[in-house]
Amino acid sequence: MSSVYMRRLGKELMDIQCDGLPEGVRLLSADNMQSWFFTIQVLGQSLYEGEVFALEFRFDNSYPFSAPAVLFVKDRTYAPPIHPHVYSNGHICASILGDDWSPSLSVTAVCITLQSMLASCKEKKLPPGNDTYVRTAPDNPKKTRFVYEDDTCDPLLCVS
Amino acid sequence: MTSTPLPEEQPPAPRLNATQLPDVDVPQPSGNAPLVVDENTDLSTLTPAQLYELNQRTLDESTRSSSDLPLIAAVAPIRVLREEYDGAPAFVRQIDFLATKGYHGIRRTRGDGDCFYRSLAFAYIERIMSTPDPALEATIAISTLDAAVPLLETVGFDKFAYEDFYEELLGLLRRVGSGAPDQLSPETLLSAFQAPEVSTAIVVFLRLLTSAQIRCDPDAFDAFLFHPDFGNQMTARDFCESFVEPTGKEADHVQMTALARALKVNAKVAYLDGHDPNGAVDFVSFESALDPSTPPVVLLYRPGHYDILDTRSLEAIQL
Repeated sequence: MSSVYMRRLGKELMDIQCDGLPEGVRLLSADNMQSWFFTIQVLGQSLYEGEVFALEFRFDNSYPFSAPAVLFVKDRTYAPPIHPHVYSNGHICASILGDDWSPSLSVTAVCITLQSMLASCKEKKLPPGNDTYVRTAPDNPKKTRFVYEDDTCDPLLCVS
Repeated sequence: MTSTPLPEEQPPAPRLNATQLPDVDVPQPSGNAPLVVDENTDLSTLTPAQLYELNQRTLDESTRSSSDLPLIAAVAPIRVLREEYDGAPAFVRQIDFLATKGYHGIRRTRGDGDCFYRSLAFAYIERIMSTPDPALEATIAISTLDAAVPLLETVGFDKFAYEDFYEELLGLLRRVGSGAPDQLSPETLLSAFQAPEVSTAIVVFLRLLTSAQIRCDPDAFDAFLFHPDFGNQMTARDFCESFVEPTGKEADHVQMTALARALKVNAKVAYLDGHDPNGAVDFVSFESALDPSTPPVVLLYRPGHYDILDTRSLEAIQL
């Protein structure tokens, strides 16, 4: 699927460079076709006012048929948000990154969804079972199988 | 721009499947006896390592078993299907019924949740190839599609997110009856649909087309958009984002109706369900062709899976 993957990422990058990104999202780097970095902020009033997070998108040649691996960066500069769907290693429990991914979605669409996920947060807390998950989690969050409990896109975690 | 904003109400937090996971690593049971897990197993008794193994094994099994089969196969005699149902007379009678109706063959598709879209796409192109003037029919099909594609942008899909997929379908249609060296033959049609890149692109395009059709015609569809598991009514957008656009999500009546309308095809689906005491098979028709007398493409439905029915028991192609 490599040709679709390269062509598609090229178009998304061009789209970002021409039309820009949604407010609150900025491109940090897109130097290659394997890994792109963005910063993301929540607009308006929220529990995350003033905080800046970094997102890493990892692509392989199954993109866009399969979702990119997306995680919050945890390094000297950035820390993942404390959020009931975000593990402290940066892994994210969001159905559009799993079962509900569609090839019609894009990097920009994922950023908007994650902004909205943060914006609607009512209490800053880690997901239950965070420590256990983080201890056993694979490096690639796509190797974790998240199970979705009901139609509210609420994921359960199945230890990977 | 499409996105999936989370609901206003914060959904309940994710929780572990096994809430009683030990917090310290428990020593592994001695010996290398394989882990046996069934519906009676209390997952909370498993160690993290065992859960890891369990999860990995399930993943491997689900991907391996399906990828052994081609995405779509050559026509096989229907007796092959009959033999699989040996010992289930209710089904055998229905399969015999199909044979008496002239369906002597079955073209199987991989059971990956995309089988409806893949089957319909294949049968749709094959049908065009079998008409008296395939090049003309292909041109009509292309203009129908060209007229429908702006709907995709209307409902908010990014052009870059569908044009490559559309191009794959157009590429095949342009080769129908073209007279060019790469004119589509039964062999090249089959091999195109067996190639994941082409096949999946076409499936994706048809999913987006189905979604656009549902979203753009609320009068026709909104009253029928229910969550397949929970039965609650859904908005067109939520329904499409959850059950139409993602690959691997099976199609039901709504999706079939919408796609038949978008493509302007006639389709019939035979329900092989073992229900009729006399072995009769119900056919559900979706009639959307401009010329109502257009022969339909015929699919076979068994709960959770679609294949294509064929009047031939074998096809004369070299694989």
